[in-house]
Amino acid sequence: MNRLCKWSLTTLMTGTAAVMISGASLAAELNIIIEEVPDYDIVKKLTEKFEAANPDIKVNFDAMPFDAMRDKILTSSLAPSATYDVIIVDNPWMEEFSRAGYLTPLDDFIKADEGYKYDDFIKAVADVGVVDGKTYGVPYYNYALGLIVRQDIFDDKGIEVPTTLEDYVSVVKELTTDDFYGAAMQPQKGYKIMEEWKNWLYAEGGELFDENGEVIINNDAAVKALDMYIDTYNTAAPKNSLNWGFDEALRAVSSGKAATMLSYNWMLPTLNAKGGMSGDLAGKFKLYEVPGGKAALGAWFWGIPANAEDKDAAWKFVSWITSPEVAKERVIAGGAPVRTSVINDKDVWEKGFGKDYYTTLQGILEDAAPLATGPHAEELIEIVGTELSAAVSGQKTVKEALDAAANGVKRTQ
Amino acid sequence: MSLRYRLILPLTLLLAAVMAYPLVFSAWISLHDYRLTRLYDVRFRGLDNYLYIFGDAPFLKAMTNTLMFVAGAVSLELVLGLGLALLLQRLVRFQNFARAVLLAPMFITPIAVGLMFRFMLSSELGVIPHYLRLMGLGVDWFSADLALFSLMLIDAWQWTPFMLLMFLAGLEALPRSPFEAAKVDGASPWMTFWHVTLPMLRPVILVALIIRALDAFKVFEYVYAITRGGPGDATEVILFHIYKTGFRFFRMGEAAAMAFILIAITLVLVVILYSAMQRK
Repeated sequence: MNRLCKWSLTTLMTGTAAVMISGASLAAELNIIIEEVPDYDIVKKLTEKFEAANPDIKVNFDAMPFDAMRDKILTSSLAPSATYDVIIVDNPWMEEFSRAGYLTPLDDFIKADEGYKYDDFIKAVADVGVVDGKTYGVPYYNYALGLIVRQDIFDDKGIEVPTTLEDYVSVVKELTTDDFYGAAMQPQKGYKIMEEWKNWLYAEGGELFDENGEVIINNDAAVKALDMYIDTYNTAAPKNSLNWGFDEALRAVSSGKAATMLSYNWMLPTLNAKGGMSGDLAGKFKLYEVPGGKAALGAWFWGIPANAEDKDAAWKFVSWITSPEVAKERVIAGGAPVRTSVINDKDVWEKGFGKDYYTTLQGILEDAAPLATGPHAEELIEIVGTELSAAVSGQKTVKEALDAAANGVKRTQ
Repeated sequence: MSLRYRLILPLTLLLAAVMAYPLVFSAWISLHDYRLTRLYDVRFRGLDNYLYIFGDAPFLKAMTNTLMFVAGAVSLELVLGLGLALLLQRLVRFQNFARAVLLAPMFITPIAVGLMFRFMLSSELGVIPHYLRLMGLGVDWFSADLALFSLMLIDAWQWTPFMLLMFLAGLEALPRSPFEAAKVDGASPWMTFWHVTLPMLRPVILVALIIRALDAFKVFEYVYAITRGGPGDATEVILFHIYKTGFRFFRMGEAAAMAFILIAITLVLVVILYSAMQRK
């Protein structure tokens, strides 16, 4: 009995020591907040390799829908010790979060990281992560908008895919019949309509602010862009689609009810996937640059919170997942590219979605500008998006709505 | 300290911790330019937040929408609930079964009800517009003109059972003799309802109205799940507006001031209804 006691005590002690040693060898545990999107599934899979190569770092993903992310990041950033060691930041939040002091400048990490090739990131995308000359975020994936068309319809009718907004409007009107629509639009209040209309605004040469930072959202270019948008909604978009967002528009195109849509460029592979959502229409879709050529850019970035405990371990992961080699693997698996070398890689073309897609995408990304910038971009998008929706639904005239948008935007500045 | 004060002390402390402190703190916030992303730069603004809000078109629109929603939805529920209660009271067989079926909508969480109706009323996918189209009716339930009304209908679908429950209990508790007297005097059913049932049921009606009205002020889920306040600002209701200002734009000062104005308006409403109840 006594021996048994002794034996179990020894075992217990050895066990405890073993746990303590293994505990000490696990140098870091990274908690990462991330949005539940297709790219996340790829990142999660790739991360297994990272963990195998770095047994001392454990990565936990806290995946959630978009709506839940903003306040979770905020509470983690305000707390004395961070819940998250790595976060992903949407482009409208970049300036807001970095100015609030939530993010760690990454410049020193980037400089010290040999072979990282920061300059290889597509400039228009990477620049969003730079605030006041400091880099607070490195690109994760892009969601720039492109024009997705049913190529078979254009070929059958012998119509060229339009490159200017004026041509686009007349083409989609021409394609519209009683039960088929030229354009599936997404005029839903807020983010969605803003994301779509911003491309129209660019096509007419408009912007939110001029070079001096003055609000010009109600100038002639904006009025014309919104007039054309409303006219197109009324004549070439599905009936009663005022509340339509991305999902509904996608469904209309994939089910053969509409000929074109402005949407995220990476919806093309999804639409063309054999046995996917488009059924027999798979393979008949093609991606072009948005009419006018300048697209609204969306992108997500990896960032390290200022209050994260182990920033070195956090950077180790961020640097690994965004490195040229892993970025290539991610894109081949279906992720949205952000590096020039990856977009131009023959291997990627072959194993991915074909040269055409990546070349068009490069064209889109090179001449794209962020949806909104500044420390209040999130609010700005909502304000303008609400007024745009009021104009499309006829509650306000175009000028009234844009004036109200301009006043709202001025107030946030 | 005498015993009676000592006895209520724990509760007083608990209430102070969970109610008074947050209330006082949010009152303090409402007097400041308090932004969650600029906590290093919180400035005293006095009553500026309140003054600004009273002239702020989006806030006023959200308030008007909410008042219209409360008035519309609650009166609809009142009429339907009372009608159903009167019918159900006469039902001899299957009364319990009918009651259980009619109460079902109340047990569904509002966000699920919102999502359900978002699809059922969608012009492209919905079953309701589909059958209406077969009858030759094309209705866009979420157009600028109809969206708020559609939300009222959804609220009525979910909360009429509550009114029904209250009125049924009220009706069953009424004494029989006034009805028998009315019958002997030769009163028509309508006269009996108008001069006997309704006056006797008044206290129950008012209580039901207060509970439902306060609840309807809190409408959020349907808006969040279906319209996000759109098209334009047609369905922007006050709680959604406060949520956006506070938790998406992080302007806590203004959001707190709006919340206090909302409390003031609700209190006035409750006082009016209460005094109506006490009037004989």
